Amino acid sequence: MAELPLAAISWWCTATGRPWTWSWIPYPGVWLAVAVPLVAYLRATSRRPPDRRRRVAFIAGMAVFWVASDWPLGTLGAGYLASAHMTQFLLYTLGAAPLLLLGIPEDLATRMLGRLTDGVRRLGRSPILCGVVYNLLLLVTHSPPAVETLRRSQVGSFTMDLVWMAAGFVLWLPILSPLAEGRPRTVAARMAYLFAATAVVAVIPASLLTFADTPVYEIYELAPRVWGLSARADQQLAGIVMKLGTIPVVWGTLGTMWFRWASRERPADRLGTPPR
Amino acid sequence: MARRIPRHVLAVALLLAGCAAPAPTGRLQGVVVEDPTPKPSFVLTDTAGERYDFAARTDGKLTLLFFGYTSCPDICPVQLSQIAEVLQQMPDVAARTEVVFVGVDWERDTPERIRSYLDRIDPRFVGLTGAPEELRAAQEAAGVPPAFIEDGTVAHASWVIAYAPDGLNRTIYPFGTRQATWRNDLPILAAMGEEGRR
Repeated sequence: MAELPLAAISWWCTATGRPWTWSWIPYPGVWLAVAVPLVAYLRATSRRPPDRRRRVAFIAGMAVFWVASDWPLGTLGAGYLASAHMTQFLLYTLGAAPLLLLGIPEDLATRMLGRLTDGVRRLGRSPILCGVVYNLLLLVTHSPPAVETLRRSQVGSFTMDLVWMAAGFVLWLPILSPLAEGRPRTVAARMAYLFAATAVVAVIPASLLTFADTPVYEIYELAPRVWGLSARADQQLAGIVMKLGTIPVVWGTLGTMWFRWASRERPADRLGTPPR
Repeated sequence: MARRIPRHVLAVALLLAGCAAPAPTGRLQGVVVEDPTPKPSFVLTDTAGERYDFAARTDGKLTLLFFGYTSCPDICPVQLSQIAEVLQQMPDVAARTEVVFVGVDWERDTPERIRSYLDRIDPRFVGLTGAPEELRAAQEAAGVPPAFIEDGTVAHASWVIAYAPDGLNRTIYPFGTRQATWRNDLPILAAMGEEGRR
């Protein structure tokens, strides 16, 4: 039997410098990264299955993670287009991470937290710390040295995607933590946190990308062109994706929080109870 | 007493500085040719089917000469697009610059095919081709190793040769040259030798 060339397999999307084609590339590492948490979740919740909404949210979260990591978006983002790279970032941090958090029931979260260190648990209890850590990760992972270094190897590219997922969890913990202990008490505080964490610092790299005279990332500037898109147009698109891509999720969440809060307060007003 | 900058502020500032494009230096950043050679003389066929005397037609202009082929999947489109993107932002330099692409794939690169290829990148670029012996002579005159075709793949020089308006080859730009370098160098090259002509 022929020996399986494990070293020749592309486990994770990375920059190759080869011209872009629509030929499918298998990434077994991505499949494992999707399958392992999914199986672990189903096993962990088999005795006390969570409600349908949580299960759907978790599976949807893993599906978004898969789409962001696998061919074609993963391949394009790793080595061809800055705009695809940015789309991946948004899918991880604003799609996969919040959906996965929504899908974790409280008892499972308690068991998972029991295995974490005090430092990580403290992070989950401090919205300010969460906001700072998320924005630092955003700045670091979008800096040219980090992108140039990490995207050129499978391990580096995997690390970047993992860090983005972690950044997404950190961002959404104060809003969607399965445990009540980490969330700010009032809806206004939660809304203020989400706005401050997502809408302020992100403008800096987004503006740099949109308005820079020359391409910032060498890896995308010198990559074989895809669909005739120039390096500068691609970078501007990346900046716009970063700037505008957050709007539907963040403002959608803010709007939902606001209307839920308003609908809860209205019956109390009618009964003459002072609003809290 | 001077206050110290907090480490975290410094770290963020450094990160952002890393994102910014490097400022023009006033010095050439391409590979500078120690002993500049004069512009070569060769005559090829342009994409309109007319004879094109390279030295005469580019006289007094900043000239960027590149030998490539239209089926090239990576190096040629990136090199040409880099120049096109930078020139689009510098119309005054672009007006004084001639970009000449010589298609060395004599089997496939017809004048029509070269024109259609260049029009997708920058319609102002000049496209040339010729018989194998003419192409070989042009490459030798420009000091680049002549391209050869093997199994449908074309091996060719991957660098751009820059001739200042004074007609001397001042710099070359290998594959991997970034737009920041072009943006820095093109105005400097365009100004070289122009004073003497006025």
